[in-house]
Amino acid sequence: MSSRLSSRLQTLKSSEEKAMGIFLTSGFPSPEVTDLLLDSIDEGGADFIELGMPHSDPLAEGLPIQYSSTRALKAGITMKDTLGIAARFRQRSETPLLLMGYVNPILRFGAAIFCEQAAAAGVDGLIIPDLPPQEAALMRVHMQKYGLNLVFLVAPNTPAERMREIDRLSDGFVYCVTITGLTGTGLAGRLDAINSYLKHASEIITHNPLLVGFGIQSYDNACDLTKHTDGFIVGSAVIKEVERLWACPELSMAERGQQVARFVRSLKYGPKK
Amino acid sequence: MGKTRIIAETGAGQHGVATATVAACFGLQCVVYMGAEDTERQALNVARMQLLGAEVRPVTSGSQTLKDATNEAIRDWVSNPTDTFYIIGSVVGPHPYPMMVRSFHTVIGEEVKGQLNRLIGKDTPDVLVACVGGGSNAIGLFYPFINHSEVQMFGVEAAGEGLDGRHAATLTRGDMGVLHGAMSYLLQDSDGQIELAHSISAGLDYPGVGPEHAWLKDLGRVTYLTETDKNALVGVELLSRTEGIIPALETAHAVAALKKIVPQVATDATIVVNCSGRGDKDMQTIMDHL
Repeated sequence: MSSRLSSRLQTLKSSEEKAMGIFLTSGFPSPEVTDLLLDSIDEGGADFIELGMPHSDPLAEGLPIQYSSTRALKAGITMKDTLGIAARFRQRSETPLLLMGYVNPILRFGAAIFCEQAAAAGVDGLIIPDLPPQEAALMRVHMQKYGLNLVFLVAPNTPAERMREIDRLSDGFVYCVTITGLTGTGLAGRLDAINSYLKHASEIITHNPLLVGFGIQSYDNACDLTKHTDGFIVGSAVIKEVERLWACPELSMAERGQQVARFVRSLKYGPKK
Repeated sequence: MGKTRIIAETGAGQHGVATATVAACFGLQCVVYMGAEDTERQALNVARMQLLGAEVRPVTSGSQTLKDATNEAIRDWVSNPTDTFYIIGSVVGPHPYPMMVRSFHTVIGEEVKGQLNRLIGKDTPDVLVACVGGGSNAIGLFYPFINHSEVQMFGVEAAGEGLDGRHAATLTRGDMGVLHGAMSYLLQDSDGQIELAHSISAGLDYPGVGPEHAWLKDLGRVTYLTETDKNALVGVELLSRTEGIIPALETAHAVAALKKIVPQVATDATIVVNCSGRGDKDMQTIMDHL
């Protein structure tokens, strides 16, 4: 528990505070505004940030993040750009930063070089949803060499034995996916079932903090789903908010940034604060 | 297995029709994902699937062809793991799909053995030829003969507009990578983004290829050639006029490759070309080009 991410999660846990992770697609809506958006999310009180590395075929994503990835790629974002964005963010902030993305662009970059450059950019960890734990041995070697956390995911249909294995292989936290499905899927009518699965997961996953994500869109969702978990992650709802704000021509960049910060803050502290 | 719902992806529509057929036989709900571009060029198969009671969902993301249909089918599958079984149409997707689909398709190679026995009194040919998109018909033909080192094997990929233009020649021009849960050769850019494939035939229009083909290529066991859209049309005409069989545009790539293969082998060689599909579904495209 020595990494920037682990210490942050540990500190929150000791003060009985839930962690909030915020996902943003790098390069969305355009590469020039990712720096501003990261600062807004940071200012809004994100305890850690997941910067998404856009991929042409993002299999785990629902429509909002698919759309944001397509738009970012069309705007010309590259893996190298994203590493540059991470490095600049690290010069401005000590908030833990993870990169989230699919395995092919990482392999294409070169797994070892990617891990080395990510670590040098001040990135704290990686989330790679299409890298199954049983295929991750080599990636783990590179990541451990450069001190990066590797976060694996569990879903409601993950058997207990595999949850234990994922807990053993993960570091930083274990990402508990709310539903069998895609990011941004609505959770209405499913909260009780999700909570009983989260309770079950929290009894099995004991080495790592447990964070819940996929479909969390509001403060209420966040409160509902952190009874048995150490925190929550919001992605699609943030992307939709960014999309909405960037479709308002009357707003200045600074105003958009402020509204993103306010939106992020409301997810953790409720609409009033 | 307790499943009540079947999903599939389809390019040319043949796999979609087959899936819709079994779903109808067993009274199962059936949803077929198909790239919007493919629903147009294979309209006949869309009508067949609908007649069989399947819902065809056109996919408008990305290249609107087989790759994107596969993305959507995988997304459906992970969203409905309890009641839904995913019948993948080629030797692609996460393990154990490439192995399962290969095993099912070995009926092709086994059938070839039977036919050869009747025709020439032995069950191994000298040469096997098949088209390769995802590669299911080819691996099904090759697999029973892989350990017969005297059997020469040729897989034929789609060179589309030419290897320097838009094409689907994954093994010939691709690089190692991961798509749809499998590591194999892929058409991708320098940043690991999947590139759009192109072929006149919807069934070969895929930027990946079955992982066993990647292995067979690296071993040198199978030789992979390419044929362009234009040559495929020549292949259609050739088989139609010499054998009275109108082949699918996919199959026509294998037929066209005979011009390259025949001069390389003995004059009395027994050559088997897998006629993987019929051309009815392609008549509109063929009429547009010939």
